[in-house]
Amino acid sequence: MNTSPTATGPSDVTDTGSLRDRMLGFVRERWDFVALVALAVAPLVVPALGGALGGQVTMLFIYCILALGLNVMVGYTGLVHLGIAAFFGIGAYLFAILTVPMYPFQMRFVTAAAVSALVTAGVGLTLGAPTLRLRGDYLAIVTLGFGEVVKVTLRNLEQITGGMKGLNPVPPPGAGLKIGGTDLGLAFAIDPRWFYYLALLTLAGVVVAMRRLENSRLGRAWVAVREDELAAEAMGVSATRVKLSAFAMSSAVAGLAGCLYAASLSTTADPNAYDFNRSIMVLCAVILGGLGSIPGTLLGVALLVGFDTVLAPWADSAIQQWNINPSGSSLLSFSGWRLAIFGLALILVMRYRPEGLVPSRRMAAELHEAH
Amino acid sequence: MVFFLQQCLIGLTNGALVAMVALGYTMVYGIIRLINFAHGDLIMLGACLALTLVSVLGMAAWTGTATWLGVALLVLLCGLFCGGLNVAVDRLVYRPLRNAPKLAPLVSAIGVSFIFMNLGLFWLGPADRSFPELLPATNLLAGEGLQFTAKDLLVIVVVVPLMIALSVLVKTTRLGKAMRAVSQDPTAAALVGIDVDRVIAATFFVGGFLGGAASVIYGLYINTIGFQMGFQNGLYAFTAAVLGGIGSIPGAVVGGLVIGLVRALSSAYVGERWAGAIVFAILIVILVFRPEGLLGRGTKEKV
Amino acid sequence: MKAWTWAAWLVVGMAFAAGCRPADPTLVKIVSSLPRTGSAKQQSDTIVRGIRMAIEEAGGQVGPFRVEYLDLDDSTAAAGQWTSEAEAANARRALQDPDVMAYIGTFNSGAAKVSMPILNLGDLLMVSPANTAVGLTKPGLGAPGEPEVYRPTGRFNYTRVVPADDLQGPLSADWAKKRGVKTVYILDDNEVYGKGIADLFDERCRELGIEVLGHDSIDAKAQEFKSLMASVKAAAPDLVYFGGTTQTKGGQLAKDMASAGIAALLMVPDGCREQVFIDSAGAANLEGRCFVTFGGLPPEKLTGKGQAFVERYRKKYGEVPEAYAVYGYEATCVALQAIREVGAKERRAITDRALAIRDFDGALGRWGFDANGDTTMQTLTVSVVKDGKFEFEEILDAAEEAAAP
Repeated sequence: MNTSPTATGPSDVTDTGSLRDRMLGFVRERWDFVALVALAVAPLVVPALGGALGGQVTMLFIYCILALGLNVMVGYTGLVHLGIAAFFGIGAYLFAILTVPMYPFQMRFVTAAAVSALVTAGVGLTLGAPTLRLRGDYLAIVTLGFGEVVKVTLRNLEQITGGMKGLNPVPPPGAGLKIGGTDLGLAFAIDPRWFYYLALLTLAGVVVAMRRLENSRLGRAWVAVREDELAAEAMGVSATRVKLSAFAMSSAVAGLAGCLYAASLSTTADPNAYDFNRSIMVLCAVILGGLGSIPGTLLGVALLVGFDTVLAPWADSAIQQWNINPSGSSLLSFSGWRLAIFGLALILVMRYRPEGLVPSRRMAAELHEAH
Repeated sequence: MVFFLQQCLIGLTNGALVAMVALGYTMVYGIIRLINFAHGDLIMLGACLALTLVSVLGMAAWTGTATWLGVALLVLLCGLFCGGLNVAVDRLVYRPLRNAPKLAPLVSAIGVSFIFMNLGLFWLGPADRSFPELLPATNLLAGEGLQFTAKDLLVIVVVVPLMIALSVLVKTTRLGKAMRAVSQDPTAAALVGIDVDRVIAATFFVGGFLGGAASVIYGLYINTIGFQMGFQNGLYAFTAAVLGGIGSIPGAVVGGLVIGLVRALSSAYVGERWAGAIVFAILIVILVFRPEGLLGRGTKEKV
Repeated sequence: MKAWTWAAWLVVGMAFAAGCRPADPTLVKIVSSLPRTGSAKQQSDTIVRGIRMAIEEAGGQVGPFRVEYLDLDDSTAAAGQWTSEAEAANARRALQDPDVMAYIGTFNSGAAKVSMPILNLGDLLMVSPANTAVGLTKPGLGAPGEPEVYRPTGRFNYTRVVPADDLQGPLSADWAKKRGVKTVYILDDNEVYGKGIADLFDERCRELGIEVLGHDSIDAKAQEFKSLMASVKAAAPDLVYFGGTTQTKGGQLAKDMASAGIAALLMVPDGCREQVFIDSAGAANLEGRCFVTFGGLPPEKLTGKGQAFVERYRKKYGEVPEAYAVYGYEATCVALQAIREVGAKERRAITDRALAIRDFDGALGRWGFDANGDTTMQTLTVSVVKDGKFEFEEILDAAEEAAAP
């Protein structure tokens, strides 16, 4: 649309300079491809990914998918959404209902995931339709309230959702499928690398889909509505339909992430796993990374969620192993300071990169125009 | 009937407390369009200070007038503390972001809330702490089975005058006029000679002061404080502010009272386990029919 | 985009740092997975102390091996309590580390549901000092499919040294009946543990002919329960039972009950049997009317080795241990004994050895594991709160209760 001269387009770096520059240029331009290859090769060379770390990184991928879903609402369409975790949860519970032994459905992984993503999109539409009139922060509070309602309902409808016990066991993908004599489901349950690849593949698929959406007619309509709803309407874009489609898309992707979440944990976990904290965490990741920017969203999740689920436990046990803190004082343990470090990081990034770590080209260009 | 009245009484008292917290949200939102996520945790820190003061001064042993004067002192000190803290946070964190994208200060506010929580964790420790019962638990309504104690009275006695004072401040004083001007158009306000940053700082101070006062009332009324209390506190208060029409002072009060009442009555007639969900379900329904909140004014579209 | 590549390198680097530890033939690791951040920290602190004491008393040595202890956290800062993800990560981590021979945990029954199936895959011995939900081990008492769903290999690897709720819930009701209680109002915190025990209590009350006036669940995140207590007051029960823990607002509930002017007795399970509960409820609000049940014996009633443990703990930390400290200690002793007897780093053998313990003479007295990996201990202690302390009231024995008409 409007590439300002300050923005660095991919064409600026190719075809110039030495081999080193060319390689850097390639990495910069095709970061996605490079990252995908690196992540695909990683489990083969890093033994730790076959263990706990593999599970943690799989979680990161799942949160990346969730954040990309939220990005459709918040980043592209500019609707603040404070209840994405509810859709994450609905996806997870639907998937569990369609697969666990206590229900008669017991669908295959792919079918169940598709059905739950679709139904989650339907739920998104149902919430979206009556609340489209609401502006900005009023819509935000509706999504927040919806999140709370969903959480309490999941907890209280014990006959359906298992209450605080959650629904388990969610069978791994391919349970019962024999490949060369071994059960594929058992392979999934034993080696986290199977889920690692499944989540990576899904993430790659979602990234590709988001790329295409970004530049499609619908993607541009989302941005148009974000920038100026009235002007967009005047140009013949139906804001209602555009916003509803953002709601549906966002919910569907979040629901898909929920399916993977339930499958990889082999349980839906309890409803508290889908509370406001989770929504806020994902929202922070999207904003921190850069609204509307796919690499930004991925980076935001890697940093924020990675900090809490990978780095913090690692640092805590490192402190224990080096025996820095024999008395067990919370002032000397990493987890004692986790919240403050986290908060400070959010503040500092917003202070020095208010448009996010990797702002989308469109956003960056606008900001430079405006000031 | 007595049961119903009792529940209404509880609901209104709880609601008044929610309203007081909601005022802090609505003031700040009104002036810089920021949902101040750290407000609930600011109140938590206020409550920490109140608890420390109570134990240092040995207030649990005070009686009669001394207690009431002590409570007034607590309200003042904690109000000043929270107000000052709020101003400091505005200066350090939000002011540099005045021209940043709309959601940047929101994330910073979440960051501030995490830092506050960590401070509270060091101050109070991980477990909930008991806040001593300073006020007599005698029933002020004799007979009839209705219960209304000094604690309940305190909430009303503090909240109502503060609310009136706030309305007067915003409606009639010079500062209030400046606040309204900045809220409508900061650039135009600056052009007519209003020091916008000072007015915003003043708003943060007033909001923080109310929060500090609320934290003392909270401690005396609920009698338990903990480092995680800010979250639920903030959630209801923020909801109340939006329900009433965010930015509107009477709106925040009405929103708070409605939430208190709905929560109490749904706990009584539907079940405690559904009370939280019903509050938010009603919020959604109200907003669907009144998109600007109960007392909010519709904003005109700029073309 | 540079930042992105940096982050990728960081992740890869950490992966290498974590993955490149070879097994050490002279070392055995014991890990625990407990909520170390957030509101349950106080409880888990005492358990960790118990674990450390057991290892120290063994001289940091078991058979030919040096013992290393790793204190893992199954809660996260963001959640403020245990999370499925952190628990799953801990379990995977323990499974992956070839030196880990025993897993002490979990604290919350809900967390055990996550880690049990994972650890089961590697036959790693799991000894819980605090899980009491019945479905974890007892066939037919939990949800359909429990407990087999936690054993994907079909083999057993889970044990617990604390009696399950099928002892505590019903026996509490028996005690209430004996005390002459005619009507109860039951509340629970809607958690796996709290609701489980409240449901068992509820069921037994109906069998015994105690009238249940109401049964409601609270939201553990709510701040006050004044409206709820107004409803309880209107129902005027003899006894209020709360299935829950200090962390799920046991203290606030007691406080609001007192300020609503309810004269009924209050009964709470072992999740509230810690000094913090009395502190958070306010001693005056509980005085003489709050009864706490506890599976097994409380610290002050322990004899022999148990008494000696309490003494050593008091010397070391300057306070009487909370009720769960001794369970952390006992769980570790069980694991150490199994490792010592096997004398080799073979997980399956160690697990089988522990499961085969039928007569263990430890700090909790003489007990053993039954075929499900549950303790054979069948005593329940009722304490009452007096002068801001738990005071022993009565010991109930399930075997005797069953024999009595």
